[in-house]
Amino acid sequence: MHDALILVEDLSRHYVVGGETVRALDGVSFAIRRGEFVAIIGQSGSGKSTLMNLIGCLDTPTSGSYRLNGADVQGLEDDALADLRNKEIGFVFQTFQLLPRATALANVELPLVYRGLSRRERRARAEGALAAVGLTNRMHHRPNELSGGQRQRVAIARALVGEPSILLADEPTGNLDSATGEEIIRLFDDLHGRGHTIVLVTHEPRLAARCPRAIRLTDGRIVGDGPGAEVAALGAARVVHG
Amino acid sequence: MRRLRRGVVRATSEISEGVRIALANLVGARLRSLLTTLGIVIGVMTVIAIVAIIQGLNASFESQISTLGAHTVYVSKFGWFAQGRSEWWEMRNRKDLGRRELEAIQREAVHASAIAPMAMTRGPITRAEKEVSGVQIIGTNAQYLETGAGSIAAGRFLAEIDVDLSRNAVVLGTEVLDRLFPGSAPEAAVGKKVVVNGIPFTVIGTIARRGQLLGMNMDANVIVPYTTFLRDLGAKRSLNIAVAAAPEDLPALEDELVGILRRVRQVPPHKNDDFALNRQEQFLKMYRQLTGALYGVALGVGMITLVVGGIGIMNIMLVSVTERTREIGVRRALGARRRTILLQFLIESSIVAALGGAVGTALGLGVAQLVALLTPLAAAATPSAVALGIGFSAGVGLLFGSWPAWRAARLDPVEALRYE
Repeated sequence: MHDALILVEDLSRHYVVGGETVRALDGVSFAIRRGEFVAIIGQSGSGKSTLMNLIGCLDTPTSGSYRLNGADVQGLEDDALADLRNKEIGFVFQTFQLLPRATALANVELPLVYRGLSRRERRARAEGALAAVGLTNRMHHRPNELSGGQRQRVAIARALVGEPSILLADEPTGNLDSATGEEIIRLFDDLHGRGHTIVLVTHEPRLAARCPRAIRLTDGRIVGDGPGAEVAALGAARVVHG
Repeated sequence: MRRLRRGVVRATSEISEGVRIALANLVGARLRSLLTTLGIVIGVMTVIAIVAIIQGLNASFESQISTLGAHTVYVSKFGWFAQGRSEWWEMRNRKDLGRRELEAIQREAVHASAIAPMAMTRGPITRAEKEVSGVQIIGTNAQYLETGAGSIAAGRFLAEIDVDLSRNAVVLGTEVLDRLFPGSAPEAAVGKKVVVNGIPFTVIGTIARRGQLLGMNMDANVIVPYTTFLRDLGAKRSLNIAVAAAPEDLPALEDELVGILRRVRQVPPHKNDDFALNRQEQFLKMYRQLTGALYGVALGVGMITLVVGGIGIMNIMLVSVTERTREIGVRRALGARRRTILLQFLIESSIVAALGGAVGTALGLGVAQLVALLTPLAAAATPSAVALGIGFSAGVGLLFGSWPAWRAARLDPVEALRYE
């Protein structure tokens, strides 16, 4: 367990909505090792987004512990969380979330701006990341001049550029047609093959089935954790592999 | 050391990124940026125009005031700035100043470095068929120039012997010289005869051009020995006496003059002075009061419009923050700290405001130049006014942008990313 990149123990996140406590996440424990490709699957309202926000250091838990790359995320200040996100997490969003007025290159450089790298280094690394997703000839285009698939590739390049510990992808194919979605999934497979740790949050069993491992959430609890195909196929049934 | 370097690089790259984003948004929303800054543009324009005109006035006033000796006390029956009619009548009824006062000052004023009487009248100066009428004729002595009354351009000034012998010698002001001897060099006039108020005089020198003092032409005059003046041009006039001193001796000189004059004029101890000691400084003081009030008005108007402009900026920045909520969420997710977001929006609001200030400054200077062109008012653009205009508006942007920027920085990244 000590080589776990992500170590979550009894993690809970409660919201108070209109005087009522909502247990969005209710005592979740798991570990993800370096180099794993894990899907987190669940219906909307299952708590997968809450879990993603916690893993992504965008939010802090109500109780339980979360260690990321050996560091305790508990009780970190806002600035420290921002630095941790910058260093450890590469986000890929469903709606790409690129800055519309910036070129692909500038979008990819952004995390490095916040890391305090020099302009030259940023440029070189961003070019490398765009090349890695096959967009060398689209570097100076703006998002509205790119197709959906290309936009998501730019977003993936942006997630990769800071060499984070994990790629955290939230429904990355949700806004793409199935062919383009397939392309993106293959890109993730490829990245996994090159040693990247990937956490993919999705509601599609089909996608989870392709991942070596999947964790299923229902009502804020883990109801399945095992090989992607099994967890996806069994739906809400409880499957736990040691 | 490495941490420090990285911090510096991070700060500079965040600032340059902030500037880049700000400019991109500015260009992306040209019309909105224009409307946003309109208030600032108008405010800065007004202030800069008024300040430029006041500074133009200052420059022209300073060059005018320099025609009076800076370290000279002008003793006279009249104070330069009578407050109303009654005071003027009181002055009018004072005893004239005459040779008695002059000689007492010459005898007793130890702090004086130069003492010159000034008897004045107006009259025509003629030469052959040429005539200049209404010329100021000044009767004085050899020390007159030392009281700060200009310098010789050609020939010589009055000498003591001219005064002692009451010679018919005259020194011409530039204006008179030009009209009596058109087109010839000042030297050509020296030794020529002219007729002052019907009496023949010999030109012994000419005074270099002095310019204007509050609309008074300081070159339309001639200077003769005051002894000659009293003999030929009227003895009944009250003298003015110009007394110069070293700057550090001026206060002592004034005290001394008050003492001498009160004694000579036999003013009882309980009565006020029946004479006035005038100084160039009084002009400056009055002038400063006047322009001080103008500055105050300009500042007030400017403040109000800048506040209005600032509220415009705050308004549009709040809209911008709302519109870009998701962008803020993305930036936070990618590792922007709160203060990075704060900085970005502060940079944006101050750049917008500073650009408005720059446009307003340019327009204001244009208006000032136009005013200078169409009216006798002068206009001067000093770099400090320009810097002030731009700097002040940037400050307004910073001030009024701080609340929207703080709201942007305070956004919760999860909420911001979800924002539709």
